[in-house]
Amino acid sequence: MCMALFSGSVDKLIGAGVVLSGSAADDMDVEVFVLLQGARAFIKGNEDKIDNLAEATHLKKEFFEALEKVNVPKWHEFFEQAKELTNVKIHVCSLAGKLWGGEKIEDFNELVDDICGIGEYITAAEEADVHLFI
Amino acid sequence: MTNEELNALPIAKTIDARGTACPGPLLAAKKAIGEINPGDIMEILSSDEGTKKDIPKWANKKGHEYLGTAEESGFFKIFMKK
Repeated sequence: MCMALFSGSVDKLIGAGVVLSGSAADDMDVEVFVLLQGARAFIKGNEDKIDNLAEATHLKKEFFEALEKVNVPKWHEFFEQAKELTNVKIHVCSLAGKLWGGEKIEDFNELVDDICGIGEYITAAEEADVHLFI
Repeated sequence: MTNEELNALPIAKTIDARGTACPGPLLAAKKAIGEINPGDIMEILSSDEGTKKDIPKWANKKGHEYLGTAEESGFFKIFMKK
């Protein structure tokens, strides 16, 4: 599976994490390409600072309360768990990284495997059976 | 199988995933399946409705055998054989 993760909002990151969990249960190989806004979430130290929503922004307080009530893991915990269970590679687009202050691999958190160019994403998208854009 | 028959099965491993929402129970089952031997039976306790369909489908896809689901009070038990 190939996933383009454009969004860096916490609701979409959780959604992406749930999808990754499903693919982990299925032992799928997954290539995640972190594009523009997504890269902000993967800058070292930003994991728990991400609290903006892409949708239903007026219900932010209720959304976060519901996440806690339903015992939903943090977005990066979904990603960590999926990486433990199956072959998930996370590539950050070099342009996206630069926009948020990430030039080198050490600028990003431990979820990130490498920094890539858009050509690698296109090739992976061409080869994948399933392709998602989040 | 009836609830009674399912509850009489010899259980090699019990996963209590109550209190976690989807995909928690599925991932708990995925982690635990590696810890039992072929032929062993595992039961997964869950209160998440999505799990009722998820685990049987996952089990069959992965070559395990889904044996049935027993309803309890406020949760259910899914039985599968590795």
